[in-house]
Amino acid sequence: MTTLVTAENVSKRYGSVRAVDNVSFSIEQGKILGLFGPNGAGKTTLLKAVLGLTDCEGALSVLGFDPFRQRKELLRNICFIADVAVLPRWIRVEQLLDFVTATHPNFSRSRVEALLGRTKIRRNAKVRELSKGMVAQLHLSIIMAVDAKLLVLDEPTLGLDIIFRKDFYADLLSDYFDEERTILITTHQVEEIENILTDIMFIHNGRILLDSPMESLGEQYAELMTAGEAADTARGLRPLYEREVFGKSVMTFENVDRGRLANLGEIRVPSVADLFVAKVKGATS
Amino acid sequence: MIGNQVALLKREFWEHRSIWAAPAAMVLVSVLLATTSLVVGSGFKEVVNLAIVGASNIDAGERRHFLVAVLGGFTIVIALSMWVLTVFYCLDALYAERKDKSILFWRSLPITDTETIVSKLLTAFLLIPAVSYAAILLAQLLSLIIMSVWVSAMGGSPGHLLWNAGALFDSFAFAFLFILSIQLWLAPFIGWFLFVSASTKRSPLLLGFLPILVVPTLEYMVVGTRLLSDAIFVRSVKLPLFGGERLSELIEDGRIEVAAEMTGILSLIDVGGYLTSPSLWLGLIVCGLFSAAAVFVRRYRDES
Repeated sequence: MTTLVTAENVSKRYGSVRAVDNVSFSIEQGKILGLFGPNGAGKTTLLKAVLGLTDCEGALSVLGFDPFRQRKELLRNICFIADVAVLPRWIRVEQLLDFVTATHPNFSRSRVEALLGRTKIRRNAKVRELSKGMVAQLHLSIIMAVDAKLLVLDEPTLGLDIIFRKDFYADLLSDYFDEERTILITTHQVEEIENILTDIMFIHNGRILLDSPMESLGEQYAELMTAGEAADTARGLRPLYEREVFGKSVMTFENVDRGRLANLGEIRVPSVADLFVAKVKGATS
Repeated sequence: MIGNQVALLKREFWEHRSIWAAPAAMVLVSVLLATTSLVVGSGFKEVVNLAIVGASNIDAGERRHFLVAVLGGFTIVIALSMWVLTVFYCLDALYAERKDKSILFWRSLPITDTETIVSKLLTAFLLIPAVSYAAILLAQLLSLIIMSVWVSAMGGSPGHLLWNAGALFDSFAFAFLFILSIQLWLAPFIGWFLFVSASTKRSPLLLGFLPILVVPTLEYMVVGTRLLSDAIFVRSVKLPLFGGERLSELIEDGRIEVAAEMTGILSLIDVGGYLTSPSLWLGLIVCGLFSAAAVFVRRYRDES
């Protein structure tokens, strides 16, 4: 399997603050990686380093390029949506397509025309005349028409309604993703995308708390719902995090024998959102 | 590289509509003024009679002088508006994309920051002058047509008075050289305004002009010298295109009139002297340094 992104001891400081603190990870081709973290955790800084928008310490290689120093070469094979609102509002759709066609060697005009053909977006409309959902559709259509190896989405559906968000990810999977392509997504709406992820990464205070394939989560983590004396016994097994639900204790465990937990209550694989909270709160406490 | 530049220049044309709208408005205003003056002039019988009677008597020098004055007027008015347009364009060129946050989209495409700044420079040095020159030609041709109709209506000969006066090429070439030389001569200001546009967080107009006014004043108050004010203010009016003379001086002492009648105004232009002027090249170097600083700021600034 081809490794697209390799980061070794990557750090980024803003003054005395370490936004990204000595992180190492790799991203393989054909994966959909969800990068999650609380506000200010360092997600966007890390993405910007991957996209060559900011310099960093350590060794970072994306598609074999130094992203900051070889950004132009990199951006021929990588594309990103930083936010749905970033398309210039003064431009007409036709002009936007003309511009990307002229400047991006891997952009397919016929593909974007086909994708936009499914929408109500008029070619002579200005971006400012489109609804927020249409702007996101336009941006996504442009991105999906680029034959890129790596797609980076930073909060791509921020401010959009649930129907559009569902459609957005459905289109991404059906019209874009294949084993040749890799997607890196950050969003706070964890529940909406966990079903499409192959890998997840949690970042907190600039450090990576978790970097794992989705399929391994069930082996590594367990969530136990219990009460009474069993709860006290379970606490002895050092849960990552504990919360109360309807008078019962729900505890998240890492690398604890599932057989032992099964005797103490009801166990299940934690959702990504619950695991995220457990890891972040556990790390904070 | 060239393909990207063509696309980037188109972007400037789409984004900054004033590049064509301002010269178009100037053409309209100039032609309206010319028409109005002819209509008003028609009210004076003596003037009309002079025009008709004198049509065949006016010698070639006088005809050339008349045309150079009229057509040159369009050149100077539109050239001044071009410079105002250039200042506002440069101040907005790298600020607007940060203000509306579209910079993140532009930077998601395989275009370097250097290519982007080069496109802004090409717009200031070539695209805006080209559109302004086209506007001058249009204004001059429209006014010639209107004057021709007027002269014909008065019974004169437009071919003899206007079109064969021998001043058209002179005026067209003068406009071309004047427009191009102004932009190159004011290059340090273009570089400075682009740098301000790339770096300021707000009020680019204020921050563009404030240092230009304040720093030379401080220099005079603190050090007692006027090096910066000479470099900034004297430079802006001392275009070395006319052999060390200012255009205003040539107009005031009538030399431009004499040249127009006798030899053509192109004879006043010293292209060699202009191109070998150390100040011109120093200004271009200053422009290059400010532009490099703008590239640096655009590349290293954190836009999040």
